[in-house]
Amino acid sequence: MPRRRILNPLTELLAAVLLVVLVLVVNRWEFSLAVLLLVVVPAVLTSGRVRQIGLAVLLIAGPLLLSSLLLHGLFFPEGRTVLLDLGPARVTREGLAFAAVMGLRMSVFTGVLLTAAMTLDVPELLATMTHRRWNRKLVFVVGSAVGLIPHVALRAQQITRAQQARGLVLGRGPVARVRALLTVTTPLVIGLLVDASERNRMLGARGFSSPGPRTSYLPDTDTPRQRAARRAMVVGVGLFSVLWLGSGVLA
Amino acid sequence: MIRVQSRSFAYDDGVPLLSGVTVTVEPGEYLVVAGSSGSGKTTLARLLAGAVGSDAGAVFRGSLTLDGETVHFEGGPADPRIDPAVWSASVAFVAQGAWGQLSMMSATVGEEIAFGPSNRGVPHERLRREVDDVAAALKLTELLDRDPRRLSGGQLQRTIIAAAVVQRPRVLVLDEPFQGLDAGAAADVAAAIDVLRAGGTGVVVCAPMLPRTAPEGARIIALDGGHAVFDGLLAEARWAGLRRYGIGTDGDAPRIGAARMRGAPTTAGRTLVTVDDVVVRYPSPGEPGGPGRGERRGRRRPPGPGRTPAVLDGVSLQVRAGEILAVRGSNGSGKTTLLQVLNGLRRPESGRVTVDGMPILRRPTGTLAGAVGYLFQDTDQQLFERTVLREVSYGPRAAGLRRVDALRRAADALEAVGLSAVADIHPYELAFVQRRLVALASLIAAGPSVWVLDEPTAGLDEPARTGLAALLVQHAQGGGAVVMATHDAAFSAAVAHRTLRLEAGLIQEDSPDPGS
Repeated sequence: MPRRRILNPLTELLAAVLLVVLVLVVNRWEFSLAVLLLVVVPAVLTSGRVRQIGLAVLLIAGPLLLSSLLLHGLFFPEGRTVLLDLGPARVTREGLAFAAVMGLRMSVFTGVLLTAAMTLDVPELLATMTHRRWNRKLVFVVGSAVGLIPHVALRAQQITRAQQARGLVLGRGPVARVRALLTVTTPLVIGLLVDASERNRMLGARGFSSPGPRTSYLPDTDTPRQRAARRAMVVGVGLFSVLWLGSGVLA
Repeated sequence: MIRVQSRSFAYDDGVPLLSGVTVTVEPGEYLVVAGSSGSGKTTLARLLAGAVGSDAGAVFRGSLTLDGETVHFEGGPADPRIDPAVWSASVAFVAQGAWGQLSMMSATVGEEIAFGPSNRGVPHERLRREVDDVAAALKLTELLDRDPRRLSGGQLQRTIIAAAVVQRPRVLVLDEPFQGLDAGAAADVAAAIDVLRAGGTGVVVCAPMLPRTAPEGARIIALDGGHAVFDGLLAEARWAGLRRYGIGTDGDAPRIGAARMRGAPTTAGRTLVTVDDVVVRYPSPGEPGGPGRGERRGRRRPPGPGRTPAVLDGVSLQVRAGEILAVRGSNGSGKTTLLQVLNGLRRPESGRVTVDGMPILRRPTGTLAGAVGYLFQDTDQQLFERTVLREVSYGPRAAGLRRVDALRRAADALEAVGLSAVADIHPYELAFVQRRLVALASLIAAGPSVWVLDEPTAGLDEPARTGLAALLVQHAQGGGAVVMATHDAAFSAAVAHRTLRLEAGLIQEDSPDPGS
């Protein structure tokens, strides 16, 4: 079951971004590990989309972790304690420690941001941005970027179905799947371009370029308390960062 | 209130259209612009909507007048530009092809209908009230929480019309608004338009044929080859001999010669299609084609845990060689689903389907293209190649024919539908009727014995509709079978041997057509 939504999506998104900022500012592996174990893992487990988010994190963070391990584990210039000498490459304790810190940080980033993005209620987010009088072009860019993904998927599915109805046989093997993907790409791109020009005209005809503020059909789920909390979070993280970095510089 | 004076209009191919055409729409007036494919009615509709096409390489010479203010165009770079936001505040336009008009910003039908007024800053409370009113008038209340991309063709069309009506425009321009709507939905749309007119909105409806019924005082402008050939009342238009311009009357039987009429099917014809106790359910949420997020939130709960409602609830039928079967029923009654079961695009939960004695449920859809040809309701979802000839030859090539043979089959099919002249053109450059015929030709080229057609006459003009009737009769007489979903009662009465009525996933009636 998807988790029950308590906070407005804008608050959730901001919290995720601020958490990433905190991890960057604090820059200690203990803190990254604590965030990973106490925030990211529970958030993924209660998201209701454990498999999808897990897969996405693996696909994005996996290669980054591997390259970081290879790069810093084997070629860390400041490494003093050599664990294994491989000629041009040396495995050092400092290199491994650095790779672990970087890897931990990257896992937190991808985990936090992907969980936030993949569980976000996009229409509600757009409605909140509209109620808060954000720039309509910006709202549209966000909305259409997110809305385009299901649109493209649906359009690709329609073309595949049309091709199947006319004799395209989809095999189950990986080669057949790649071939099917190729046959769908050209008509998909051309179709989307035609759609886009038509849609541009249509958006104009439905008053999208009107001056003045836009309103939203969806109710405003944002509350004064959450707005205050968002401001407090930004100020709090800002102040903490200044103090933390300042104390680091002074020390 | 609004006037278009066109001295000439030309797209980038340079062919002049709308020479010396003037159209004026007064408050509360109902104007029908009728014309066959290529007559210029869509161009005229776009001009009324303030789209002079200069951004797309078109040249317009003439003037547009709105509320006493006239803008002149000379077809040059110095021409004024029309601000679509300002123009559309007075003039709402519903173009053909509902899919391309979705904003892609809305996850629900409610948001989609509200898109226009919300762009103009209508306060939230009023916005909800107005959307609710329009949805009730167009019987869309049940669908307000559905994903607009997953509606049936008729439901989507009503949504797009609702999105225009809710703006309460002073002029409403609709390009073929009744296409794909059942009689009930068409009446709902007409009633909603009447309410607007009573409030002073001038309404322009473009259509390939004269309407059977229209509000009192409805005026007709008939176009042919870009010229106005008639301007007067509907009653006069019926006797003005417009048929010579390819303009028939909605609901008239196609005029195929008596010798080519369908005739009785050969009763000895073998059974080509058998559908036996087929049940199809809506996919569950998350699957492709599953309900939108609103349904997950529970406006329409599935019956029982884990069970979604049945689209087809135990449907059985047989179609013999030589037979034309019409499937009728209201929008969303399961017609399209039934058709897609016949070529494997939809897999039923239970039941049996055979084509020419061969069980098809476990066979990939692609292997059935040689036996069952499918015409989609939305043509633009069906066309995907670079030229008409390539498009039509796709089927034969996919079936393994050599390129030369495939191209020859394609050329023959194009000749059968009368499109040989446009073989090298991109399908998107053709007018709607021609695109529809390209889709039909691509079905014919694959040479299937069973033709499955979803709303084949929607949007066709008189010549194309008559040509289609002749093709269907010819195919049946040659030993093939046709299954078509249609709202066109006159067409099915003239062509079909049998009519099957589908309501809420059940066959309500399976009767020989009264005309046969």
